[in-house]
Amino acid sequence: MLDFIRDDLNLTGNKEGCGAGECGTCSVFVNGVLMKSCLLPVAKAQGATIETVEALAKTGELSVLQKAFHKAGASQCGYCIPGMVMAATAALRANPFVDREEIKERLGGNICRCTGYQKIFDAVELARDIQNGSLPATALMETDTEDAVLGKSVRRIDTPSKVSGRLKYAGDMTMPGMLHVQVLRSPHAYARIVSIDAAAAEAMEGVHGVITSADVPGEDGFGVFVNDQPVMARGKVRYVGEAVAAVAAEDLATAKRALAAIKVVYEPLPAVYDPDEAMRPGAPILHDYAPDNVTKHIPIRVGDVEKGFAESDLVVEENYSTQPIEHAYLEPEAGLAYVDHDGVVTIVSPDQNVTHHRHMLARIIAKPISKVRFIMSPVGGGFGGKEDMIYQGMLALLAMKTQRPVRLVFTREESIISTAKRHPSRTVLRMGLMRDGRIRAVHMKMICDGGAYGLSTEGVMRKAAILAAGPYVVPNVRIDTLGIYTNNTPSGAFRSFGALQTAFATESHLDICAERLGLDPFQIRRINAMRDGAITHTKARLGSVSLTRALDALEKASGWEAGASVSRGNTRADLGGDGVRPPCALGARFAGVHKQEAAE
Amino acid sequence: MLTCDDYVSPGSLAEAFAAIDSYRGRYRIVAGATDTLPWAREGRAGDVHIPALIDVTKIPELRELSVDDKRVRMGAATPIQRFLDDPKLARALPCMPRCAVWFADDQIRAQATIGGNIINASPAADGTPCLIAHEAVVELASARGRRKMPLSDFVTGPNKTALADGELLMAIECDALPAHGGSFEKVGHRRSLVISLVCLAALLKLDARGRRIEDARLAIAGIGPRPVRLNDVEKFLCAGSLSADRLEQAADMPMSLVASRTRQEYRRDVVRGFMLRGLINAAKRAGADTSVLTGNLEAAYS
Repeated sequence: MLDFIRDDLNLTGNKEGCGAGECGTCSVFVNGVLMKSCLLPVAKAQGATIETVEALAKTGELSVLQKAFHKAGASQCGYCIPGMVMAATAALRANPFVDREEIKERLGGNICRCTGYQKIFDAVELARDIQNGSLPATALMETDTEDAVLGKSVRRIDTPSKVSGRLKYAGDMTMPGMLHVQVLRSPHAYARIVSIDAAAAEAMEGVHGVITSADVPGEDGFGVFVNDQPVMARGKVRYVGEAVAAVAAEDLATAKRALAAIKVVYEPLPAVYDPDEAMRPGAPILHDYAPDNVTKHIPIRVGDVEKGFAESDLVVEENYSTQPIEHAYLEPEAGLAYVDHDGVVTIVSPDQNVTHHRHMLARIIAKPISKVRFIMSPVGGGFGGKEDMIYQGMLALLAMKTQRPVRLVFTREESIISTAKRHPSRTVLRMGLMRDGRIRAVHMKMICDGGAYGLSTEGVMRKAAILAAGPYVVPNVRIDTLGIYTNNTPSGAFRSFGALQTAFATESHLDICAERLGLDPFQIRRINAMRDGAITHTKARLGSVSLTRALDALEKASGWEAGASVSRGNTRADLGGDGVRPPCALGARFAGVHKQEAAE
Repeated sequence: MLTCDDYVSPGSLAEAFAAIDSYRGRYRIVAGATDTLPWAREGRAGDVHIPALIDVTKIPELRELSVDDKRVRMGAATPIQRFLDDPKLARALPCMPRCAVWFADDQIRAQATIGGNIINASPAADGTPCLIAHEAVVELASARGRRKMPLSDFVTGPNKTALADGELLMAIECDALPAHGGSFEKVGHRRSLVISLVCLAALLKLDARGRRIEDARLAIAGIGPRPVRLNDVEKFLCAGSLSADRLEQAADMPMSLVASRTRQEYRRDVVRGFMLRGLINAAKRAGADTSVLTGNLEAAYS
């Protein structure tokens, strides 16, 4: 039903986030009952009344709930919002006096990746109160009406387009004569491509173009720091899910059939999946330019760490590791490309780095920069995951080859298998401290799995190293961060860009050290905190440092009970009470029963 | 992607059997279809083409529901949400509303059916242990006739049932237990849209003073290839007066049944915790004399 609503009726307010009932971006009313249209065979619509998000603001006037989303700042990327609005509409219909816990429960089938949900719940409560008359309709108006913006609560100007489903993301866009693109991906982690035979696919009716790396006219390589990645695998595939060929056809089904007709002969190569193994002599080499498989090593040296450890009263060494993480934006990657009337190759996609990509693509397709245009479509969540030009090159080549508009929309599975993840890391951290809590020396080595291509690894290693020793005054510092090539899914940019991995190690380590020294965890941080005018470990002067203010606010907000962690144990007063979220439960809607259970 | 040549929505049993006959070997029965569409995707079955999908949700007999104080009979196409929204059904099946509220989400529950949950025969199916605790019997029909069998025999293993070729699951019949207190405990990775790692259905009926268990029904899923009824534990619970000590001993008993493929140690811990929490919740809802349950036990598990 979702495909029918989107493709045949062109009602694209109904988004496809997963196609498997997990995310709720496609919720519709079927005879007044909310359901997920991706789980409904379209034949079930026979004789039924279907209402999509477009039905809520048919006249152009937003519903009270939609206005409440606007007022409460409940939309960010907006991709989950039509589904959220539908689910919230259903919740208010089911119970006009729905409380916050029941709102959470009734919206449980809808996932948002940006907001943290609180503003969405605020919006539903606001709409409820207005509908019930306990708040006046004026509560939906903007509070601050002066022209000034800074320090004011202003409504986002793009919210009406998001709550109504009117905003078009790349996957919602169509053009006359548009072809549908599908990508053939590698089943091997590391293999030599012996041959690609696309003749049968090209001959199929409805297929207008098949491309491989042989179709790249210019210098085939892209990346954020090093251009080590071809538009499609060239000679070798280096990870499972790497693009090998792409097809443009009249419809999706034909494009899929054509993929199946492309014959690729691979010769599997010994692969390496662990960064430590990849650094050993004799390990498989991913890229000729990096025979040691090191994508980037960032060293930082301040003072003399061995001297610092010798002066310390306490030296603590621990190991830390973090795992790969998927960005899981609700909008899977999508893009549309065409060659315009002036011969300008134009790419429309939720691309977080259009200017850099424009320059790279011009070199790849051997055109002057004036003949390449990137248009950034609304980004349905990025978090760094849409900084890499992993599919725009294929779209450009197919638009050039077919001279028709072409569109590629990733499935959720394709997005997860083929796009970058947060760098998994292994860290060894050694810290020397004086008895009074002052840090004398920090020695950290972090090895990150960068996967098969460089992407943002260099920058991630750089920021990880710069921030590794934290916002703390440390006289002796030795930091090494290394990004390593392996045959795993490439790692790339992700919120905090490397700082998470090193901060996780340093902050965990400070708690351990505080415990060993009998210090309060806040106290050990205050003792070492950089203050206004501090010089960082990489010699930047900080005019103002808000760390101690942040610590004060955090201590107050968390109701922290002062003292070393070891001194409190079961008597801790800050592990319950106001402001502490109880464990999750369901059943808020069993009104009477619920009250009874709460009393119990 | 799932594609078919024909999507058939029979309006009667006779039409359904005619469709089954004419598409023999080339059809798949669907009800809510909430598991069928995600199944036909990359990483599971991939793109699937089935000549005929036969949708049984328009057959009136599969949507019928009758409830009295003794028995419940529900058509196989009864949506899961009905266990939450229908007060008569909720009263007769005291653990089902709590099972339903943890089942997928409001939207999927409106579409997914109890029959589909049973037929899928997932080792972690939420509805099946509840119905097994209610002594459910399934009614199966084919063009040749009808037969009944206990639900506990019908589910034979992971994704396996005793359904014969050409047969339809018509209805589920089970005990109505309005005097029992019911509970359903479930754990998964998050609270909505999650497959149970372990789930437990508990039903208790107490004597008038709330100090002795007269009837206990316990079933557990997610710990082995199919849901199991805990007959030994039930006997033990009824053999003496209700006490914290008896509940603690009962909670230890099923830990040895954990035979899942993964995370056995974790599941054993969960089983013990769920037994205590499930029994305490069910006992309280059945009107237990609260003085027999010690404060510590309640604080830890309720």
